[in-house]
Amino acid sequence: MSTPLLAVDGVSRRFPGVLANDEVSLTLQRGEVLGLLGENGAGKSTLMNILAGIVSPDAGEIRVDGRVADLRTPRHAAAAGIGMVHQHFTLIGAMSVCDNLALGERRVGGFLVDRGAIARRAAALARELRIELDLDAQVDALSVGQQQQVEIVKALSGDPAILILDEPTAVLAPEERAGLFDLLARLAAKGTGVVLISHRLEDIMACCDRVVVLRHGRVVGSGAVAGLARDDLIRMVIGDEIVPVERAPAVPGEAVLSVQDLVLHRANGTPAIDGASFTVHRHEIVALCGVEGNGQSELVQIVAGMQSPDGGTIDYRLRGSPLIGPQGVATLRQHGVAHIAEDRLRHAVLGDLSLADNWLLTALFPRALAPHGWLDRAEAARQCTAALRQFDIKARDAMVPLAHLSGGNQQKLVLARELHDEPPLVIAAHPTRGLDARTIAFVQGQLLQARDRGAGVLLLTADLDEVWALADRVMVMSAGRLHGPVPVGSTSRHQVGHWMTGPR
Amino acid sequence: MSGLALRQGAILALALLVPSLFVMLAGKDPVATWGVLLGYTLGSWDGFSDVLVRAIPLTLLGLGVAVAFRGGIFNIGGEGQLIAGAVLAVAASPLLQGLGWFALPLYLLAGMLGGAAAGGVVGWLRTRYSANEIIVTILMNYVFLQLLTWVIRGPLQEPMGFLPRSFVIGDGLKLGLLDAGSRLHAGLFVAVAAAVVLQVFLTRSAFGFGLDVIGRSAEVARYAGIRPARLVVLGLLLSGALGGLAGAVEIAGVFHRLEDNFAAGLGLSAIAVALMAGLRPALIPFTAILFGIFHVGSGALQRQLSLPFPLVWIVQGVVILAFLAARAVQAQHGRRT
Amino acid sequence: MELALLTGLLAAGLRLSMSIGIAALGEAVAQRSGTINVGIEGIMLVGAFLAAYGALTTGSPWGGLALAVLGGMVLAGIQAWFTIVLRTDQIVTGIAFVILGLGLSGFLFRISMGGAPSSLPAFRPLDLGPLTALPLVGPVLFGQNILFYLALVAAFGIWFVMKRTRLGLAIRACGENPAAADAAGIRVNRVRAGCTVFGGAMAALGGAYLAIAQINSFVEDMVVGRGFLAIACVVFGRWHPIGVLLAAITFGLAEAAQIRLQTWVPGVPYQFFLMLPYVLGIAALAAMARSAALPKALGRPFQSHRRR
Repeated sequence: MSTPLLAVDGVSRRFPGVLANDEVSLTLQRGEVLGLLGENGAGKSTLMNILAGIVSPDAGEIRVDGRVADLRTPRHAAAAGIGMVHQHFTLIGAMSVCDNLALGERRVGGFLVDRGAIARRAAALARELRIELDLDAQVDALSVGQQQQVEIVKALSGDPAILILDEPTAVLAPEERAGLFDLLARLAAKGTGVVLISHRLEDIMACCDRVVVLRHGRVVGSGAVAGLARDDLIRMVIGDEIVPVERAPAVPGEAVLSVQDLVLHRANGTPAIDGASFTVHRHEIVALCGVEGNGQSELVQIVAGMQSPDGGTIDYRLRGSPLIGPQGVATLRQHGVAHIAEDRLRHAVLGDLSLADNWLLTALFPRALAPHGWLDRAEAARQCTAALRQFDIKARDAMVPLAHLSGGNQQKLVLARELHDEPPLVIAAHPTRGLDARTIAFVQGQLLQARDRGAGVLLLTADLDEVWALADRVMVMSAGRLHGPVPVGSTSRHQVGHWMTGPR
Repeated sequence: MSGLALRQGAILALALLVPSLFVMLAGKDPVATWGVLLGYTLGSWDGFSDVLVRAIPLTLLGLGVAVAFRGGIFNIGGEGQLIAGAVLAVAASPLLQGLGWFALPLYLLAGMLGGAAAGGVVGWLRTRYSANEIIVTILMNYVFLQLLTWVIRGPLQEPMGFLPRSFVIGDGLKLGLLDAGSRLHAGLFVAVAAAVVLQVFLTRSAFGFGLDVIGRSAEVARYAGIRPARLVVLGLLLSGALGGLAGAVEIAGVFHRLEDNFAAGLGLSAIAVALMAGLRPALIPFTAILFGIFHVGSGALQRQLSLPFPLVWIVQGVVILAFLAARAVQAQHGRRT
Repeated sequence: MELALLTGLLAAGLRLSMSIGIAALGEAVAQRSGTINVGIEGIMLVGAFLAAYGALTTGSPWGGLALAVLGGMVLAGIQAWFTIVLRTDQIVTGIAFVILGLGLSGFLFRISMGGAPSSLPAFRPLDLGPLTALPLVGPVLFGQNILFYLALVAAFGIWFVMKRTRLGLAIRACGENPAAADAAGIRVNRVRAGCTVFGGAMAALGGAYLAIAQINSFVEDMVVGRGFLAIACVVFGRWHPIGVLLAAITFGLAEAAQIRLQTWVPGVPYQFFLMLPYVLGIAALAAMARSAALPKALGRPFQSHRRR
């Protein structure tokens, strides 16, 4: 048995609050395509970052060709023979393909950019991989699939023995995927070891020789793809524990949100949302699931009023008269829509403002704390201080800058703020992402309370445990289309996993 | 003494040292120079009253700069907006002749309208065309300067037609002297009132809060339902109006007529005034006095010690840089602790 | 239009364009790397003074040129230290240098040259014999001073470096996507500092051109906004050296036309013609602001995360 090209041996890595990699071991042979499968948060990214030299492991060893590899920095990783193709390309859109390849050259060339040499190398690679490469094209003008090909050629310029691709199919159209798999097959035929990280079962099964499944940071299964059935893999990815639903069943009331045939196009014309329709009622939590990049973030942004759709209708039935059609944020907040934003620091709060001022932020509309245009800072401070107590937020008082709070406490404040007025519609996007277990339980409890009080909650989450703990109905977004919503009781985690991990 | 305090002390020392070096280069004794500067501006009523006179337009213009900068809008066109306001106010003044004590407020209002119009144009260019307001406002300064040059030699010129200056505004429009022995005029009240009003308005109104938010992040503003474009235009209208008011006041209180270069140097100094006050209206009158001291003091240094007047610009530039350095050092310190 | 008039207009237009053009070339390089310098007005002023002073004391315009370049590099170097090392706001720091430049040039002028304009050893228009004698093209293209031709060479040089060399590649990467540049091993802040200093040298050269090739004298505040027009040129020319130069020529022609328009159209007050270059600049900014050629990382400080 020859030495594996790559051997990961007992690698562990802990981040504050979470054990991202828990004694992970796997091997990769020369000329083999290995799939790394798992949900968001399973530990794939961390393992990949370790291999790429971006993060260092707390324990364990990594051997390339039998020798322990020094992966201190990305440069060291490259020197050790590991090439990376990231999910978010490191290409510079405004520059040409040739320039981008030149940038990736590890050989420190002379004064001039040696276009000739780059062209020759790229042409040779393109021939072998049977792709087309236009050196003079501006990267911005290429399709995503073509950009990925440039990124791959760039990664191959250092002649790596191992090529790792992170979710390469997430951005590709179906017809482009076949091209990628062919390319990888040819690469493997040359002797390169390929690691394909993905959440998509179809891709793993179409492309890989062997697969390793990660869940909660541990390897829960591995084997040759040929010998495994789809269902086996799904079971490994999401597990089959049944989470007891320990909440009172609720009878859904009237509809608060009604979405019909929603459409949103991307810049290149492909639909990000391809005709989505669903309803959210009072006294109910509807979960929206999907793997990142399938359109669900955009859907939530549209429903929250922060983005305009290209087609379709959205009707709201909140306080006062019904609102027809897509609305702006000010109107929505005025009528009682709360939005717990996905990216807290980018959208929902300002770090250098005080807690009281952050509390005030979303009260400008409905003018609750700013009647006649004048701020009622005293009342804002009062409400904020009360919230600090009620929600057990660790802060000295309402005057400290928000940036002094931990992430968990910040999120609790956002929750307190958004739920304060008992809004009829709550949009919660990844509300427990990145939080510790105690805070997660708290946030989930608050959402259940809001629903019991009569709110309709649209919950965007990638965590199936959370879906089963909170949701009454669940829908899955995949490639811009919606499956469901269906009552949680009438489906299984298996089915939801099935919808999330592949084509219809 | 902590490392931070030490570094900030060093910055302060350099800020005092650099201008002193130039003073020595000119062959004068720095200590005596500082003595003359402070002695005249703070030690004599002549000097101090002149400092206050200079501080009046600096305050008003500085307030305008502060309003814009708080919203993340780099309005460098204060001087142009000041001129626009002064020109409109003076042009309108003959129409206000018989209106009794309505005349002066209307005159000042005309000034504000002129400045607001100038600011509004910038707001339109920025929101409609995404034009960079920094360069646009600076270029507009030069346009308005030419406008001034023209009106005082053309349509608004004094009846005799000899000198390049406008007619004198009516007596009812002049801001009275507060002290017969100096140039200090009632515009002082306007400046102080404006500072108070703006301090309250910017810190207590939804508009002021919205401005602070868009100054930090347009994305968070949108999340909160605030429309950045609308606030930017309103902010520039207000900023320009304050500049126009400064122009109208300066004419009504000091010059009583339009003249070449009556606003020289106010624009850039006002930016320094606003920055040093941390964009806080309540502090602007004080930093305005500080820069008034530099300005009037430099005049005295030229008269008494033959030190070239441009020294005032060296001082101002160094002061701004020192201020920026001190803030950067503070921020670095904050990041590490 | 009479040939003589046209010749005069074009020749003057080209001659008047270069002070803005040289400064704009430097600013274009600096902006391509991701730093914006609004202080070049101040550096141009100092450059003009140093050129005048140097020319007077050494008796040769080349001496003035050398002193100006040195001064520009020092000032820009200090500015780079503020914006890159201390990470102060680029706009505000630039304004501080405008003020500083105003003070330094005025103060030093008064104490060293008595504050009185004097005629300086300058770069005279060249006489290339038969070439200059050609009708129209002669005086326009072949009768300029030597700095003019050096500026043209510089423009093509910059174009070549940016397009074909590893240095140009690095500069462009720093301005478009500093994170990617950093990942590729480029020392982003070093490149930016170098480009800022280069921009300062060129700005000082632009000021020097004013003093010893165009007006041949030094007057206080003689730059009158040309530094800001240079920045408008960069936008107008879409950050491309040849485009920037053409934009500067447009402004130069406007300035040349403005003097002549006063005599041709006596009814309109001359101040409106003086406004022309500035109005043109504003229009250019409005028309070109949403250009795709804008370096995406312009104005944003960068910190490398490479040590982990």
